[in-house]
Amino acid sequence: MSFSRKMAWRNYLVEGFLILASLLIILPLLIMLFGSFMTSAEVLKFSLRLPEKWNFSNYTTVFREGGLGRAFLNGMLITGVSSVLNIFTSSAASFILVRRETKWSNFLYMFFFMGLIAPMSTITTIRVVQWMGFYGSITSVILIYASLNTAFSVFLYSGFIRSIPKALDEVAFLEGANTFDVFFRIVTPLIVPVNATVAIMVFMSVWNDITIPLYFLTDSSDWTMPLSVYNFYGKYSRDWNLIFADLVLTSLPVLILYIFCQKYIVSGLTAGAVKG
Amino acid sequence: MNVSKRLYSYYLIWPALLIYSIFFVLPALIGLFYSFTDWRLDREAIKFIGWDNFERIFTDRTLLLAMKNTTIFAIVTVLGKNLLGIALAVGLNMKLKSKNLLRAIFYSPSILSVLVISIVFTPMLRSDGTINRIFEAVGLPSLSQAWLTNPALVIWTVAFVSIWQHTGFQMAIYLAGLQSISKEYYEAATIDGAGSWRSFRSITIPLLLPAININLMLTLIGGLKVFSEVFVLTGGGPGNASQVVGTIILRSFGEGSWGLGTAVNTLLFAAVTIIAIPLLIFMRRKEVSE
Repeated sequence: MSFSRKMAWRNYLVEGFLILASLLIILPLLIMLFGSFMTSAEVLKFSLRLPEKWNFSNYTTVFREGGLGRAFLNGMLITGVSSVLNIFTSSAASFILVRRETKWSNFLYMFFFMGLIAPMSTITTIRVVQWMGFYGSITSVILIYASLNTAFSVFLYSGFIRSIPKALDEVAFLEGANTFDVFFRIVTPLIVPVNATVAIMVFMSVWNDITIPLYFLTDSSDWTMPLSVYNFYGKYSRDWNLIFADLVLTSLPVLILYIFCQKYIVSGLTAGAVKG
Repeated sequence: MNVSKRLYSYYLIWPALLIYSIFFVLPALIGLFYSFTDWRLDREAIKFIGWDNFERIFTDRTLLLAMKNTTIFAIVTVLGKNLLGIALAVGLNMKLKSKNLLRAIFYSPSILSVLVISIVFTPMLRSDGTINRIFEAVGLPSLSQAWLTNPALVIWTVAFVSIWQHTGFQMAIYLAGLQSISKEYYEAATIDGAGSWRSFRSITIPLLLPAININLMLTLIGGLKVFSEVFVLTGGGPGNASQVVGTIILRSFGEGSWGLGTAVNTLLFAAVTIIAIPLLIFMRRKEVSE
């Protein structure tokens, strides 16, 4: 009895402390959210309170002035295509890497794994893209994102595919299927949860990134939302209400994705990081 | 063996291998070559200049400062994100009423763009900003600082913002790790008379090693590659006080001194590999074999 009471007290203490700590996380985010509805004079105190009047017009102003419609579509195109490309190429490669247990496939696995560690060589990547003749294009950015995420995706897929019994493929092979059939008819349906995890992880990292567009998208009409926001932040440095509205808008897509796909993020972290 | 080779044909690897090799590996290899040249945007001819770029990196004060800052940032964020991440995970793994909500709150900043968080913190970190006003309001005005304009402090401030944003991600990995530890170990330890600190040290930490391993790697590599936080919060300033390797590369790119920029990148590559690979091997060995 006294032991369980002691445990209960300890839990209350921990809970109270964690709630206090969580305020440190919530408050800056609320300052941004409430500030995005204020007037530009009202927001300048940067303290936490509700706006006197909720100015939804900030959002329409930002959308118009910041060219966010175009940036949203660019971001969706870049993020969508690079995620899909990455899912197809990485899962197919991982399937073969895991199933062929040869020295060569182990070497290739390490070759991909190095990509998790090594930093990207931005300047020479520009050179390569220039040689190929499409520097500054959205296509180049899509291919670069697909390549940057290959290492992480192969790592996640390999861990998962290893847990699928090889006997399933062997039965199919006996029935006369080829590699292609086995991969698309048997393995692909089984790895749908990992596809979701990879899609979400790639989507979040690509959507939020400013580095690649900064170096590779030379024409501002191709910019993604965060880079447009950065540009807007430089131009409208006095109107913090508009800047905050801009930040909220660029965060919305990942926020919505997170709310609907939480379980895939957690299962992905468990499968890839903890068991892998 | 032969059967398996024939059945699992290599062509399914090719798309991934091509994209990855052309846009990631090839630039790295080319970079190795260009590091030893005086490659400039405005010059046609490229001359091989041996170790000159690297000598310059180790004698130029700004470049040295950038490497020092990158190291400070990496160490501070590795410690901060992992110690706080474990603490949060252990707390939120207990039977608390609000644990699901609290987990979501702590995780939430890490799904947002570094750009968003950095801009939100900019006005709060000013001399007349929210953080200093809070210190004054609670009667601790001596704690208020010029967070982003004091050269001695600025890299620590940037590291703080990064810890604030990403600790929740580390927490999530630690939570997943904690949940894979069977409760029976703790029950047995309690029966043997072990206190909670003893259980934590002898059960939690060893069984959490895979998660610790992956988190140390992620935070260390991420820390050495830092760019966006510095770019948005300070642009490398005041002066050059918060330059890191990532911002130096952007600067060399902008100035057209591409040879020097690739040399800095090669050095970063070498540093990450030299630190990360032995750490990876060491940590793998320490993990409890299942």
